[in-house]
Amino acid sequence: MRIGLPHIGNLNIAMKALFDGLGVDYVIPPHNNRRTLSLGVKYAPEGLCIPFKLTLGNIIEAAEMGADTILMAAGYGICRLGYYAKIQEQILHDLGYNAEMVQLGVSEKKLYGFLQMVKRLSNNASWFKIISAFRFGMAKLNALDDIERLVQKTRPVEHQPGTTNQLYAKAIQDIDQACDNASIKRVKQEYIEKLLSANKNGNARPLIVGITGEFYVVLEPFSNLDIEVELGKLGVEVRRSTFISEWTKFSWFLNPLGVNEKDRIHQAAMPYLKRDIGGDGWESVGEKVLHAKEYDGIVHLAPFTCMPEIIAQNIMPTTRETIPVLTILCDEQLAKPGMLTRLEAFVDLLERRRRTANKAQ
Amino acid sequence: MIRVGIPRALLYYQYYPMWKTFFEALDAEVIVSPATTQTMLAGGSSRVVADTCLPVKVFLGHVLNLAKECDYIFIPSIRSVKKRVYNCSKFLGLPDMTRAVIPEAPPILDTEIDINKPSRTLYQTIYQLGRHFTWNPMKIKQAATAAWQAHKDYYQLMAQQTLTPPQAIAALTDKTMPAPQLPANASPAAQTRVALIGHPYMLYDEHINHRLITKLQHYGIQVFIPEMVTTPDLEMYTDRLVGNAYWTYEHEVVGAGGYYLDSKVDGVIGAMAFGCGPDSLMMDVVRRQANRQREHAFMCLTLEEHTAEAGLVTRLEAFLDMVTRKKRRRQELCV
Repeated sequence: MRIGLPHIGNLNIAMKALFDGLGVDYVIPPHNNRRTLSLGVKYAPEGLCIPFKLTLGNIIEAAEMGADTILMAAGYGICRLGYYAKIQEQILHDLGYNAEMVQLGVSEKKLYGFLQMVKRLSNNASWFKIISAFRFGMAKLNALDDIERLVQKTRPVEHQPGTTNQLYAKAIQDIDQACDNASIKRVKQEYIEKLLSANKNGNARPLIVGITGEFYVVLEPFSNLDIEVELGKLGVEVRRSTFISEWTKFSWFLNPLGVNEKDRIHQAAMPYLKRDIGGDGWESVGEKVLHAKEYDGIVHLAPFTCMPEIIAQNIMPTTRETIPVLTILCDEQLAKPGMLTRLEAFVDLLERRRRTANKAQ
Repeated sequence: MIRVGIPRALLYYQYYPMWKTFFEALDAEVIVSPATTQTMLAGGSSRVVADTCLPVKVFLGHVLNLAKECDYIFIPSIRSVKKRVYNCSKFLGLPDMTRAVIPEAPPILDTEIDINKPSRTLYQTIYQLGRHFTWNPMKIKQAATAAWQAHKDYYQLMAQQTLTPPQAIAALTDKTMPAPQLPANASPAAQTRVALIGHPYMLYDEHINHRLITKLQHYGIQVFIPEMVTTPDLEMYTDRLVGNAYWTYEHEVVGAGGYYLDSKVDGVIGAMAFGCGPDSLMMDVVRRQANRQREHAFMCLTLEEHTAEAGLVTRLEAFLDMVTRKKRRRQELCV
């Protein structure tokens, strides 16, 4: 058995640690690139969203590398994503690969279903082994997300343009190579210090832009054309509340216990959208309302034809809490120059707003 | 008398007799918007972002049309009508979205139907809906029972007389029986038989699909529709093609598609809206099944507000030519 899985953000690093710890054979397909996208676009039904196409590309590449068991998120009540694994399996079989798709239910069985699956996939390793491997993977994910939060803060105020991104790329590598908890801690500390010293002065008040929208396009830089890096280059501090480590912590452990980190966001959205509409539509509206005072602007990322985000996009302009929102629809046609032009215009607008606000004071 | 508006779009085709009976039993006047026009579509489109799907734009056009004429507009948020089978986000968020983009609309009755919650919740929801019209719980209960009966009668009528939903609604409301236009089993074997699959709001809204059914009948085609297939059959084929159903209204597409691909029709035409989330997957499942069987011709029409009638006619003619040729070849082989 050889396991393969699609990419999303830095998840592959945690999964690598998990599989290594369990002693399972696995392949990590190449990072998202033009070939992944064209494979996905070629074999996917045309009306589907970019998360489907990119993950399909990953899955095909994993199958090419000999994976016979492919992990994919699935589940009921969460937009189309819950159904993707089934369709992707059909496409894979039509292409002549005999890989089995294992659906990780993310909304119905939560922790129990996941652990059962892990038990099966790990050739019946002991629970102790599974839990320690899982915790090790989580530790890596947590460290990476902590570093990323600082990276988002440092990008707009760095001494030497580009240092932060270089440091971040190296940090990902080093965390990937770390072999025990102590070295993860050490690497994390080292990079946090380096990032803090890359900061040119503590008094700068860069524009703050919140990133919200659909889970996959927010987290996968290839699908949003590195929007966070581009915003950083324009001197903007990016904030987002979606991180894989947070999401795992809540949706697998705390939500079943009745703790929901999103309650505050849902409460904020209540006057405009009263119910969960699947995907992240409710959260998009809620985050706009909640952060209207805090941020200078919001970039709303959504895949083209995403059902929940279209509803959110229609509701967002009508809220009483006003804050500029730029919606960027991500699909295979999105090109960098076009996106940059829109971002530059958006940042200009935010700067002018802040200037007038300062003058008024 | 309180006037309740019901837009002639989306779920109207499935539930109108039920809704009408319920509101009329509570002494309300039910106002339905007229058939879709270009003005309505343009009005609806102007309110939302461009990539909202066509049926929703049409729906908003109908709401705009009703806005001045009634005291309430009934827009339920139907989350689930079967355990663990959920609905498309656009149906869930419909009342909230309508309120956001049409602020001048009268108050919206946004009943949320979710069968996954305990049945008590469902009764409470119905009671709360009735509370807008009467204080009397017994009256609401009677209205709900009558409504449920009307719903069953409606489906029975469609199945028995092979009527399309608009014909059945006309038969129920006007009490004048139109001659059934889609005779199921009484035609010569030589006639070409084509099945249409898709959601009722795509197949029976003549403005959206440029009178697709009428056009096919003009060519002398015998038309089959999803409503002619029994529910157990639809469920069985849905199960066979995609495993457990995932979306509430997908058996009209995937169940009917699977059924007709296995039956004696000569071709299957799928009608879907551009950007429809569930259909983009489900039509693909049907297409794959058609490819695998290699027996029936299959064509998927993707409709949107820019779909021109001439283009549609060209595709239809080419498809029918292909079907006829295929059929002729098969008959020659048999001889």
